[in-house]
Amino acid sequence: MFVLLKTPNYMNRLLLVLMALCSQVAFSQTLTDGLMMSKGKFCTGFLYTHDQWKEYWEGELSRENGNIGEVTTQSIMWAGNYGITGKLNVIAMLPYIKTDASMGTLHGMNDIQDLSIGVKYNFFKKEFEKSAFKAFGVLNFSTPIGDYTPDFFPLSIGTQTTNVAYRLTTYFKLKEGWFVNLSGAYTWRSNTQIDRPSYFDGNEFVMSDEVKMPNMFDIFGSIGYLKGPLQVEADYIQQNTLGGGDIRRQDMPFVSNRMNFIKTGALVMYYPPQVKNLALRAAGYYTLSGRNVGQSTTWMVGALYTFTFIKEQ
Amino acid sequence: MKSIKVYGTILIVVALMASLVVSCNKDIDLSEELPALVPVGTDEDAETWLGAAEPDVTMAKMITAAETSTPKIFDPANDLTMVQDVNSAAYQAELTSIKDLQKNLTAEQKQIIEYWSGGGVLRWNQILRGLVARFNLPPAPKADGTYPVPDAENPFADPNFPFANPPYAARAYSYVTIAQYEALKAAWHYMYVYNRQSPFDVDNSVQSLMPETGLPAYPSHDAVLSGVTAEMLKLLFPAAVEEITLRAAEQRNAALWSGRASSSDIAKGLALGKSVANLFITRARGDGMGTAGGNKAAWDALAQNAIDQGETPWISLENPKRPPMLPFFGLRKAGVSNGVKAWRMTTDDIINNRPTPPPATASSEMADEVNEVKYYADNLTRERLAIVHKWADGAGTYTPPGHWNDIAAEYIRDAKFSEVRAARAFALLNMAMHDAGVACWDTKYFYFNPRPCQLDPSIKTGTGVPNFPAFTSGHSNFSGSASTVLSYLFPQGSDYFNDQAREASLSRLYGAIHYRTDVEVGLEQGQTVGLFTVNFATADGAD
Repeated sequence: MFVLLKTPNYMNRLLLVLMALCSQVAFSQTLTDGLMMSKGKFCTGFLYTHDQWKEYWEGELSRENGNIGEVTTQSIMWAGNYGITGKLNVIAMLPYIKTDASMGTLHGMNDIQDLSIGVKYNFFKKEFEKSAFKAFGVLNFSTPIGDYTPDFFPLSIGTQTTNVAYRLTTYFKLKEGWFVNLSGAYTWRSNTQIDRPSYFDGNEFVMSDEVKMPNMFDIFGSIGYLKGPLQVEADYIQQNTLGGGDIRRQDMPFVSNRMNFIKTGALVMYYPPQVKNLALRAAGYYTLSGRNVGQSTTWMVGALYTFTFIKEQ
Repeated sequence: MKSIKVYGTILIVVALMASLVVSCNKDIDLSEELPALVPVGTDEDAETWLGAAEPDVTMAKMITAAETSTPKIFDPANDLTMVQDVNSAAYQAELTSIKDLQKNLTAEQKQIIEYWSGGGVLRWNQILRGLVARFNLPPAPKADGTYPVPDAENPFADPNFPFANPPYAARAYSYVTIAQYEALKAAWHYMYVYNRQSPFDVDNSVQSLMPETGLPAYPSHDAVLSGVTAEMLKLLFPAAVEEITLRAAEQRNAALWSGRASSSDIAKGLALGKSVANLFITRARGDGMGTAGGNKAAWDALAQNAIDQGETPWISLENPKRPPMLPFFGLRKAGVSNGVKAWRMTTDDIINNRPTPPPATASSEMADEVNEVKYYADNLTRERLAIVHKWADGAGTYTPPGHWNDIAAEYIRDAKFSEVRAARAFALLNMAMHDAGVACWDTKYFYFNPRPCQLDPSIKTGTGVPNFPAFTSGHSNFSGSASTVLSYLFPQGSDYFNDQAREASLSRLYGAIHYRTDVEVGLEQGQTVGLFTVNFATADGAD
């Protein structure tokens, strides 16, 4: 990467075009937060996530299932965020995901999942004496890269849909470091296809291999402190699927189920002074309530490094 | 300049994304569309075709039931002239009422007419598959680790009745389709006894809103089908009574609104359909299904018997352990079980065709078989997983027999059979699959052979492990019998049916839930069972 830094200008342009084409870069936090990479900077790295649940909601009924035990989902995700300008960032992510069940006979799944590319634009900014307010619009696009099956929940690694999310974020920060962030998105999802000619979606029997996928919205809120090398925040995450059937009594989950959840958690980001441009990230989340999802506990750690392609004037 | 290019690129990407959303609506392409059925023949001689449910249901029994009931449904010796008098005030009033109805048909009513124009036999088959999928859910365990048993007398409780698992479904498909077939044959008998035409044939001012079939209208064969099907479905899926009765009423309304049948055509048809259903319901109540579940002592005896033979007995791989699925659905063993009645096979036929034992559980042959399954488990490619899932047909689906009805439906639709001939095709297919289910369940519980993951718990499966013994494979039996019967009915599709059956059979090995012996022997066993039906069909007088 250091070689890249010294490469002629066309390499930078090539990278830019590549990113604009394949779209993007987004790790979820970066999509929802109120921070931007400044012009010519590229922040990239890997994040490891460990998610596990034993209880899950069959519709609204919380239960365990001796035929799956604990379901563990691990992922390693590449993420990158490039500052085209200080007001316009491109964010991309690509995870590899692996699932396992601790009991029963079902085979775990693993594959590269979906490439996500987002454009984040800081369209409004107002500075006050002791604070600042910013507003952002994010357009995020994701599409499957791996040929994984969406018809093996709870062990499927994804829904095999192409998604477009429209997000609005507001960010208010005090000079001494406290901040509040609120973000919401509406996500359009394409239909998905399964390997069988008919299915029961929880409400009705459908003679097709195509599954109608309901859209979703999410709300993301955080309160935190950001000063110097440290960022600490407490998060609230809510996702609602706008339609879809419930898991029926003792049935398997289905890709188009109404998957809702509310999670809470915390994130710490630290820039060790010893290594310039390195960021370490750790986060933990717990599912407070849900519908047709597992009551999961999630841990995430990651390291990100920022490269500078264009020196700011 | 540079920033303009960048912004331009971004703008284009944004526009593309936005247009994706706008241009993609989410309507699903449904398979198995049914265009209006215009049958290629009338099959006037259908009443002479050999009975599929003899001796329990015969043409003579159906006629006796219809002509000795109180009140009598038909009384040709006394009511023939009256029925044939289309100028009677009563019949003319019926015509007037149809004309009034047709003046004010709503969009919804027209849609109902269009729906049922696709063919009643095909439509009910689709509805039946949906009911099986809806009710194919195993009971959830109770807190004490035991499982409740679905109760036919309390079908709306948790668990719903029935648990429409593959044997239950195979039997249900066969009862519904065979009852439909026999009832339509009775309908054909009376249609040509009375020979009264459809309202739109009798009176030019009655519109014809369904394709004309050239069939007499008294009794309405649509109403016969609605009556016999609704009664059978209410027996088999009592918790779906609302949907069933609404659909049946729609079918009769479509016949009336379309000008195809008058209210008296429909009333007589409905009564005949119900009357024939009663004969099948009597058979169903006494066919052995009521005791197919067994009890703990009987399950333990099956395991002990395997141990006595020096074998490792099957055990449930579910947690908590679930009782075996319908152990006495098939088993023919003196003093233990008589099994559920088959349609085309006697108890001797089933015993004589029972496959020889699989490799002993402790043998090196079995170790090799386990190793092969382990290979497929550890090398579950995406291509093989797609095959596993295509044919999984597990909980929440229409089951393997439903899958073969799905396959058959397109062929039956494209053949443009008369309703009675379409019913014969489904009846033949489903009697063979019921018999295959019976024969397979006999074999499974006779040998009580463990699943691969029981012998090697490191084997992980691409679909759920069914809760019954391994040898022989149920999918292979259902598929072997179905492909054999369909190859008889539609010889041009024979290669396709046989390929699909082989794929269905192998899918169970790829998914690591069956040994190769289970699927290969099971496929042959199914083919053998299918031939019993083909032998019947070639001599039934319909060809």
